[in-house]
Amino acid sequence: MPSQQKSLTRRGLLKTAASAPLAPMIVPASALGLGATPPSDRVTLGGLGIGSRGTRVLESFLKQGDVQFLAICDVRNERREAIKSMADQKNGNRDCAMYSDQQELWARKDIDAVLIATGDRWHAPLSVLTAAAGKDVYCEKPCSMTIAESRALADTFLRLGRVYQAGTQRRNGTNFIRAYDLAHSGKIGKLHTIHAEAGPGNRWPPATSHAWLPAEPEPPKQLVDWDRWLGPSPWRPYHSEYVRGKWRGYFDFHGGGILEWGAHTVDLCHWAAHLDSTAPVEFEPRGMGGDTPYSIECRYANGMKLVIRDSGFMGLGSCHFRLEGDAGFVETADSGRIGVPEKLRSEIADVPQEEARESTTHHVRDFVNCVKSRKQPRANALAAAQTHITCHAAYIAFQLGRKLRFDPATDTFTGDEQANRMRSRAMREPWRI
Amino acid sequence: MQMVDEKYGSAAQIMALPAAKLVAILEDPSASVYARAKACQQLAVTGDRSAVRPLAALLGDAQLSHYARFALEPNPDPSAGDALRAALGKVSGKLRVGVINSIGVRRDVKALDVLAALLRDEDAEIAQAASSAIARIRPRV
Repeated sequence: MPSQQKSLTRRGLLKTAASAPLAPMIVPASALGLGATPPSDRVTLGGLGIGSRGTRVLESFLKQGDVQFLAICDVRNERREAIKSMADQKNGNRDCAMYSDQQELWARKDIDAVLIATGDRWHAPLSVLTAAAGKDVYCEKPCSMTIAESRALADTFLRLGRVYQAGTQRRNGTNFIRAYDLAHSGKIGKLHTIHAEAGPGNRWPPATSHAWLPAEPEPPKQLVDWDRWLGPSPWRPYHSEYVRGKWRGYFDFHGGGILEWGAHTVDLCHWAAHLDSTAPVEFEPRGMGGDTPYSIECRYANGMKLVIRDSGFMGLGSCHFRLEGDAGFVETADSGRIGVPEKLRSEIADVPQEEARESTTHHVRDFVNCVKSRKQPRANALAAAQTHITCHAAYIAFQLGRKLRFDPATDTFTGDEQANRMRSRAMREPWRI
Repeated sequence: MQMVDEKYGSAAQIMALPAAKLVAILEDPSASVYARAKACQQLAVTGDRSAVRPLAALLGDAQLSHYARFALEPNPDPSAGDALRAALGKVSGKLRVGVINSIGVRRDVKALDVLAALLRDEDAEIAQAASSAIARIRPRV
């Protein structure tokens, strides 16, 4: 990514490396409008590509009394204006800067951390480059397009000592934490099987399409920079639907339903079963989507079984996950309700049912705290990478329609050349990771 | 609403073809960019040595160079590495950056000398790509 790397001079890189383990820079109080919060206790934030979901996450950031949003970078003029308006209203000034080239945002030495909420195709490259520019990252999920990108993401953040939080906010959701606690209280016995919802199939089914929409005239670059919108993805002719948010379901831009949902639910399973540093050793697809319920049965080296499936849950809302032990189970999802066997009902009687939006606010708070403390948040880069590698590998097994064996130590499939060829995708020039 | 190629059909139809027929699409001078792009994407998974030469021929094509690399980069046949190295002397600008990036991903030790020479290329983007590729190819001690 030459033009993006131009400003990463020797001096800049040395500064990045030297400052990596340190707390964020202290900003002069006069530069900010946060009243009671001392300058040394504030986190300054920028944004890359903030659409509808990103706006909701940004709202959670703006609720924090010690966060100030300073700049938005987006290839869409309409989004730049909308986010600037939102930030200026909160800050009580007109100072939020607008950029269309991420390089300009990275050059801002007064920005500690960056919220990345572009389309999925950009998540890993931008995260890696933002870390190299010396900033911490909160990135929406899915966080990568391939197994290779997932590993590069983790390696970069671990090596540079930067803070990363994947936008898998359910790890900080009250009902999900209660389910975790119950599973580890001994009351459901020894945990042996974990279930992740990856559906329902009528919204982001597992399979992706390689189709193109018919060409439309490209808009002026200052309104939508189509080349930059595509970024590392393969070129295709412009169509306004993609830019309006209907890019999901296309292979070039999206990892399919297993990744879309599994980024949350497989992630919850990994967290709850203490599998944040590994991945399954076997992936076995059952059923092939469409009207037929599908599942991917995965087995870990320690014997734990993960079932990724699109049906058969208790109807507790979207994003179910279920933990099964030899003496019971616990299941929860986005309604906030928790399902348990009758004998465990008293254990969940006092769980408040909060909106899913609240878990995002808790998750953002976890990130801001870690930017200050230099500890790793609950959905850190390694945990996110292992979740995403599991989802990508499951989708590869689904696409090939056969059982695959996987080595989590090397991120390679054993004895399956085609599967190994699907672990990465060449990036469009000049991008690389 | 999706695009359909008059000669070869939809993306799904093209990508269901066996590798030999996908290679034939690449060699068909009347084939559209769409048909060739989809052929490349499927050959990334199924292409063998026979796909390398027609893919290499696309490395200088501004619209299809990336698609050709999409198929060559994961192709385990050594001839894919030979083709990418050979292209270094034939393509320029961004396309050359792309070829260097793919060589880096393939961790092609045979390219180390030529990449080392590119470290002093007058085009800073080429030099940076070469630097990045060498770092990727060289095994860590």
